[in-house]
Amino acid sequence: MTGIDVALDGIEGPAGRMVEPLSFEIAPAASLALIGESGSGKTLTAKSLVGLLPPGFRAAGTLRVDGREHRLDQADASWRAVRGREVSLLLQDPFTSLSPVHRCGPQIAWTLEAKAGRRLPARELDTEVARRLDEVNLPARVARAHPHELSGGMRQRVAIAAALASDPRLLIADEPTTALDASNQAELLDLLRELQHERGMAMLLISHDLGLVRGRTDEVLVMRHGEVVERGATARVLSAPEHQYTKALIAADPALALDAPVHAEASVLAEAAGRAEASGLAEAAGAAPLVRATGVVKRFGERTVLGGVDLEIAAGEIVGIVGESGSGKSTLARCIAGLEREDGGTIAFDGAVLTPGRRSRTPGQMQIVFQDPYSSLNPMMTIGQILREALAVGGRAPSEVAELLQTVGLPADAAGKRPAQLSGGQRQRVAIARALAPRPRLLICDESVSALDVQVQAQILDLLGRLREELGVAILFISHDLAVVRRIADTVTVVWQGRVVERGPCARVLDAPVEEYTKLLVAAAHRDRTLSHDPSTDGRTIPA
Amino acid sequence: MLAVRVLGTLAILFVLSIIVFSMLHLAPGDLVKTLLGTRPASPEAVAAIREQYHLDDPLPVQYLRWLGGVLTGDFGQSIRLQTSVADAIGSRLGLTLALCGLAFVAAIGTGIPLGVQSAVRAGGVLDRVGTALGVIGLSAPTFAVGLLLLYVFAYYLPIFPVYGGGRGPLDTLYHLILPAITLAAGLGAIVLKLTRTAMLRELDADYVTSARARGIPEGRVRRLALRNAAIPIVTGASLLLTFLVGGTVLAETTYALPGLGTLLQDSVLFKDLAVVQALTLLVALVIAVIALLADLAYLLLDPRVRAKGGTA
Amino acid sequence: MSASLGAVGVAFRRRGVPATVIVCLVVLAAAFLAVVLGPVLFPEATKQDILSSLMPAGSPGHPLGTDELGRDILALTVAGAASALVGPVCVAVGSMLLGILLGTLAGYERGPLDFVISRWTDLLLALPVLLAAIVVSGVFGGGYWTTVALLVLLFSPSDIRIVRAGVLEQSARPYIEAAQMLSLSRWRVMFRHILPNVSSLVITNAMLNVAFALVAFSSLSFLGVGVPPGTADWGRQLTDSRAIMFDNPAAVIVPAVLIIAVACAVNLVGDWLGQRLTRSGGLA
Repeated sequence: MTGIDVALDGIEGPAGRMVEPLSFEIAPAASLALIGESGSGKTLTAKSLVGLLPPGFRAAGTLRVDGREHRLDQADASWRAVRGREVSLLLQDPFTSLSPVHRCGPQIAWTLEAKAGRRLPARELDTEVARRLDEVNLPARVARAHPHELSGGMRQRVAIAAALASDPRLLIADEPTTALDASNQAELLDLLRELQHERGMAMLLISHDLGLVRGRTDEVLVMRHGEVVERGATARVLSAPEHQYTKALIAADPALALDAPVHAEASVLAEAAGRAEASGLAEAAGAAPLVRATGVVKRFGERTVLGGVDLEIAAGEIVGIVGESGSGKSTLARCIAGLEREDGGTIAFDGAVLTPGRRSRTPGQMQIVFQDPYSSLNPMMTIGQILREALAVGGRAPSEVAELLQTVGLPADAAGKRPAQLSGGQRQRVAIARALAPRPRLLICDESVSALDVQVQAQILDLLGRLREELGVAILFISHDLAVVRRIADTVTVVWQGRVVERGPCARVLDAPVEEYTKLLVAAAHRDRTLSHDPSTDGRTIPA
Repeated sequence: MLAVRVLGTLAILFVLSIIVFSMLHLAPGDLVKTLLGTRPASPEAVAAIREQYHLDDPLPVQYLRWLGGVLTGDFGQSIRLQTSVADAIGSRLGLTLALCGLAFVAAIGTGIPLGVQSAVRAGGVLDRVGTALGVIGLSAPTFAVGLLLLYVFAYYLPIFPVYGGGRGPLDTLYHLILPAITLAAGLGAIVLKLTRTAMLRELDADYVTSARARGIPEGRVRRLALRNAAIPIVTGASLLLTFLVGGTVLAETTYALPGLGTLLQDSVLFKDLAVVQALTLLVALVIAVIALLADLAYLLLDPRVRAKGGTA
Repeated sequence: MSASLGAVGVAFRRRGVPATVIVCLVVLAAAFLAVVLGPVLFPEATKQDILSSLMPAGSPGHPLGTDELGRDILALTVAGAASALVGPVCVAVGSMLLGILLGTLAGYERGPLDFVISRWTDLLLALPVLLAAIVVSGVFGGGYWTTVALLVLLFSPSDIRIVRAGVLEQSARPYIEAAQMLSLSRWRVMFRHILPNVSSLVITNAMLNVAFALVAFSSLSFLGVGVPPGTADWGRQLTDSRAIMFDNPAAVIVPAVLIIAVACAVNLVGDWLGQRLTRSGGLA
């Protein structure tokens, strides 16, 4: 009998049972995706198959590789025969999974020697390392490079070469592309698929992203709270999910709704904005814009991050800025907020030019909601203290805390808690409440939903849309995720290498991009994540 | 980057030299009397001292003259020993270097292996014993350790000599064993703590998990982690040096060894300022040079820093 | 400071204080009692009495014997606790306060102020604490409190650096930028927002500094600087009794073991507190 056969009897942690019994088989050259959100037990499951569970965790069960049986609770010494030869593990972050002080060549060579069980002659090693690098489409000179000299995508290729150097029968890839840019993600997954077929190697792909596995794995297991809730052929699970949770996952993932129509009133506004743009001047629409940035330049040392960017935000408008990491989109927002000082150009608020820096700005003009909900709240203060401080700045009474909490959909008793007692989504709501306290006219959301699970992401997007309607606050929404922007923005500005590439109404830019770069971005998003339009996912109802 | 670092070191040494020079003039009591030492203060002797030390020149001129002497190895005369300061230091340097060298080798030789083993089997028996020894080593003042060792190994179990530096190389070595162990206790504790902390962090890193998952043997995995841990360990070298300087003074005093430490203590108590100045500057220089070398080693050990240094 | 004291409270309230820590706390409590009650119990500990000189341990009326000046070792040791322990605690607290002030200013304000403060710490760090203390105390004289002041100065660079690094790390966090978006005053940001978040670092370091200062202080008095002759002080006792170390071992062993025991206890409690504080989220 060939292939992989796993019968896991469960994983126990210090806080009790973490993973319920589960079993699966993977045929040679086939692949299985293990899908779940953080805390679902998918990574523990992966680590239990190489005997590398964290201290305090225990797994029971068996792993069968081509008929050879290995107990999951065997001693570390016995695992050494399994690791590398039978099963290898590819980790998420290519920046930490290679030793920073060693060159790439030796790191691959160690695996080769580990498999051979002896030292190999240098020349033989060099040749073999070059061949392995070639397999992952890297030139032989990479062997001489240190990891920090390579890009993220290249490092992950080196990590793949190192993981495969022992020719394992099963490769476990734990979120292998999450740390990479969109354009790299697809390439890397295709490379893995290709290597798998060449070697007849089975693959277990761990991911939080259902959209990512479409067309790349044969089967899917969906996990939640340590339990498998749905399993089946990938195409079937994605097109006709049976379990409520799988349906919610698909519905809540904005990426899967990339082709859905833009919401109605936004389209109207977008058309208006489009007309305004067409006439060349915002004044034509009647009033001066809330924010007008003209020719903003920002340099960090010798690197020019913003090379003369223009941006206008009308009162009550939601402007999306999209671009890859390092494109300068966050820097632009930070210049507008006064957290960075621009080196050139002007930023005007309500027609009055602001000098660079925070000093010329008031809390009532603009506020920011940051990306990371874990570090954007002072861990030593209670939610009440945080909000009262912000209310005081806006000249509002401390008693308005309850009202503020209600606005962002949090219970009143949250005021007595500290940030550590709240979930990521709740913290982000507190951050939004704090930003709203001084009644700002502009809310800057800098990747504000990127660190959240998909379901929470959708809830926060809904909240932001509602706030715009109820409070009339303008929103500058920055994201690398086209689907998220599409869901909320009226107009979109595409930024690349510190310059504006394209701008216009949301639907026009994302559905019919004119510029090459925008087309690339949209294509990458589609290639990676799109699902064919499925009527069953249209409702986008999210269970609380 | 390195050039900036060297300039910074030179600047610090320059400022320190001014402070050390000023010590002569800031010390309480009449400067001439201090310089006369035990000699009678006859008007001729006072005049001679004023002449000899150029005390009538403006201070900056005095400083430059003194600095010129220092740079050419002339630190003046010791009023206590009636010899040149350079000779006084030279005759005692060997013993102190031997003591420090022995202690250093002993500390590295025990601290690093023990630290690695403690980290690899964190929570085990060896780790507990190592941690306990480390805490005692860090907490116990050198002289207290020295005195207790004297009781054990020179009084109750008389296998080592109590005092003195010994005659001839072998006898000196014999006399240095107990002081070196004393000094190595604190030093080794620091090395142990640095190594254990650094190794624990590295063993927890992703690249170690990744290496284990690829089937790389545990011995190689540990060497891999130790190579990465070497960076924080070497960076902590300045801590060792700071400890070593104070510890040497205490160890030499405890065992009455005629080294630089006892020279410093005697000179301080006697207000033999020329010797104190020379020793202070010497220590500052050694520390500055070793800190520079540690930075260089850091550069060699960490390719990331090397790359940045190359472009800056 | 109330927030930081609260953090310490949280660390203590947690269940499962290890046995070693309890032993250490008992040692520290005993030392504290000796400091408070020593002068009351043995007001004449340093009085010399040639008639009863050099009695071995176990002599009637002198359980630990006497030294060559006829001073009772037990009385001298209990009375010496104050001199041996009060100074180090003052050094740790003083250098902590100096560190908080200068470290926060340097880390938050950056710019020229940071440059000046950082160069100042570089300069102080270029000389080992003990060497500088021996030279300055020895050459310039001065009593007990001069030595305390000197050690505060010499210990402060480590506090300044730790606070500065902590403040730098915290300043880059979004919650500080959020505070800046609210246009809060710099003092409020520094001492209301940042300081509580570095307080666990600061308190832990201050604990460890007590142990280091204890070692430094006793080393200085052992070398004959810092504490005037004739004072009841553990370090001084060691240097005074070295000539008779083989005649009445208790005269040397008791104070030496006490110094080691108290320093170990402070170190262990400091380490434990540090781990607890880090885990309780003060540094998250």
